[in-house]
Amino acid sequence: MSSMVWLGYAVLALVLWGFTGVTQKLSTNRISSERSFLWFCWAMVALSAVVVVIARPHWGLGTLVVVCSIAGGTLNGLGAWTSFRALESGGKASIVISLISLFPLLTVVLAVALLHERLTWMQTAGAVVAIAAAILLSLEPAPAQA
Amino acid sequence: MSEASQKRRLPVWLFWSLITIVFWGTWGLVSKIASNGVDAWMNQLLFTVGIAPLLVLVGWKVSRGGNPGESAPRSDARRKGVFWAFLTGILGGVGNMAYFEAMVKGGKASVVTPVTALFPMVTVLLALVFLKERLGRTQWIGLALAFVAIYLLNA
Repeated sequence: MSSMVWLGYAVLALVLWGFTGVTQKLSTNRISSERSFLWFCWAMVALSAVVVVIARPHWGLGTLVVVCSIAGGTLNGLGAWTSFRALESGGKASIVISLISLFPLLTVVLAVALLHERLTWMQTAGAVVAIAAAILLSLEPAPAQA
Repeated sequence: MSEASQKRRLPVWLFWSLITIVFWGTWGLVSKIASNGVDAWMNQLLFTVGIAPLLVLVGWKVSRGGNPGESAPRSDARRKGVFWAFLTGILGGVGNMAYFEAMVKGGKASVVTPVTALFPMVTVLLALVFLKERLGRTQWIGLALAFVAIYLLNA
């Protein structure tokens, strides 16, 4: 049953991020990607203010986890910025986004190599199928013939 | 520069795409390490601290006028654009907390990250329903594979 708990949260993240795919498009249809990113960051600040009020987090944390949490925000933000640069540098959206969809592969390699995580063969197959699915989902259909 | 030497160089878009893979791929690793000592609430605070320098940098660039070729959007369009961008941040932030909590609850980085990376399946379904976009055959196959992947990863 405990395995279902992490999956529930992972699916919740998947659904919420799925919604951002639409809201981001609705935003960048109206304002530049830079302004959109700026307001995305301000929303993160607002959310953090709410977290401070309702969760009253404790501050006695180890250095490593603090560094890794902060690095998570920086890496995520830098990734968003470089993905925009890839699209603005002349890369076709279907190719750039498909290529970027390979990022979980690096996480899998790093987690197995550095954190010594072990996957069953079913989970290994699942990771491969997930990455293939993410690539296929990012391929936009060709425009309809007139 | 000759055509042959241009072909030998790494295209700029490929360079930025590969860098993106490194940033986002490493994010999964550091999130798992952090999940051993911090809860999702605190992680969201520290995550925001990490993104703050980019907020300052991009804010400074936008305040200097952004792209010279970019035309100013009409005020109502701008307001709507800001609203959707802000909503993206809220949904993305809560999604980050759920992603992190999945790791706190014992999910492996090597399993949680591929599952959550399937979020385009929700986007294409929403685009199909609300934006009236059509799906190609490859996207339908991708959608089917996404469900297979979730089943396998939870096995």
